[in-house]
Amino acid sequence: YYPQDSPPPAGPRGSPALPVPAVPPDPSAALRPPGRSVAPSGGRPAPPALSGPAPHYTSHRASLRALLSLVGASRLVYVTSGLLPATMLAALRCRGSCRVPAAVPAWSPWLVPSRGRKSRHDPPAKSKASRLKVPPPVDPAELYVITERYRQHRLVLSALRSIFWSEVVQKRQEVQRDTEDSAALSEEHRVLMAWNDAENARQRARREERIRKEEEERKIRKLQAAENKAKVMEAFLKEKEKEVLQLQEEAKTFITPENLDARIEECLDNPRNYNFAIDKEGRIVKRTALS
Amino acid sequence: ALFAGRGLLKAYRGGHVVIRFALGGCTNRPFYRIVAAHSKRARDGKYLEQLGCLDPLPNVHGEKVVGLNLERLRHWLGCGAQLSRPAEKLLGRCGAGKRSRRGGSRRSALPVAGLAGFLPLHPMTITNAERLRRRRRRAQEAVVPPAEGGSQDPGAAA
Repeated sequence: YYPQDSPPPAGPRGSPALPVPAVPPDPSAALRPPGRSVAPSGGRPAPPALSGPAPHYTSHRASLRALLSLVGASRLVYVTSGLLPATMLAALRCRGSCRVPAAVPAWSPWLVPSRGRKSRHDPPAKSKASRLKVPPPVDPAELYVITERYRQHRLVLSALRSIFWSEVVQKRQEVQRDTEDSAALSEEHRVLMAWNDAENARQRARREERIRKEEEERKIRKLQAAENKAKVMEAFLKEKEKEVLQLQEEAKTFITPENLDARIEECLDNPRNYNFAIDKEGRIVKRTALS
Repeated sequence: ALFAGRGLLKAYRGGHVVIRFALGGCTNRPFYRIVAAHSKRARDGKYLEQLGCLDPLPNVHGEKVVGLNLERLRHWLGCGAQLSRPAEKLLGRCGAGKRSRRGGSRRSALPVAGLAGFLPLHPMTITNAERLRRRRRRAQEAVVPPAEGGSQDPGAAA
């Protein structure tokens, strides 16, 4: 779709690089008043195919072109009508290819143009009572072609923008590099880096020393702990040994089912008197009234 | 806002930089300045930088004169400025990159993707040209057949 410097190809889909300047402006266009231009077919045709009759261009489209286009023709009629913004909006909306925000309605009683003879409080004219606003017809094939062209156009534009941005960045960096004094700055940079390295080395040495000392301490502490644990274990074991021995000793005097009878006989034979009295001074008196 | 310079420093919420036409001139004599401005500014209000001018009325030799500062245009476009529709169409025209008449900086060779204009052709330019061509062809065909038919009928009758 984008022409090179070669002459434009002929054909219905030919996209001319430049509209032919030698062709004089259509005199009928200048003479024709800026109103609705009726197509040769007459009436409102259905959306035709691309090769069919041209879409029916209404006055707002013509006035749009008159205002905005800078194509060849030297004599253009400048239409300044107060209804232009709303009609432009309608035309833009119906073109479909540009993005009109969805929140903006095509027409509403509150959407009044900001210029013109009438204010918002003046009622519309009686001649406009039966006016039916119809959007311009859209040729779907042409619309598809236009959409595709827009997509490619935007792609190229974004690529160009990125190129320009890289140029801007490059220029900025160049300027920065030129303003700073490169020799002195690099020297200073080197000196500072050397100092930084020395500092790092020193810190590293100190750090390693500290770590080594901590390691040694930890080892000593671990050894100590092990020793303590061993000692404690030993003591505990000894205690338990003693208890076991003692228990073994005491077990000799236990009453078991075997010597139960013998012990009972023995107790019955040797009665013992556990009664005694004691006074505050601690004197024990074994002889009591009961015995 | 600064007390003394309240009218000078305006801070907007949102908005973006646009390259568009600011209308000047007098009655029945428009004149556009191609301008990089904040999108929320008035059309003819304070702008960031003027990038050129456009005289929509043709001069004695039938030319429409446009001045462009392509250097700064590239800078602004690189910094993310949007373009208004007529500005896009203008920059896409052939010869916008080759020469800038009467003003602006000249660039002898613009390696812009090998295109003739500063920007690629706008889709609507191509579309409108196609439509015009089609309409003219149809007009010619409408004129020619009746002439042929008219000439043939007397020939057949005779």
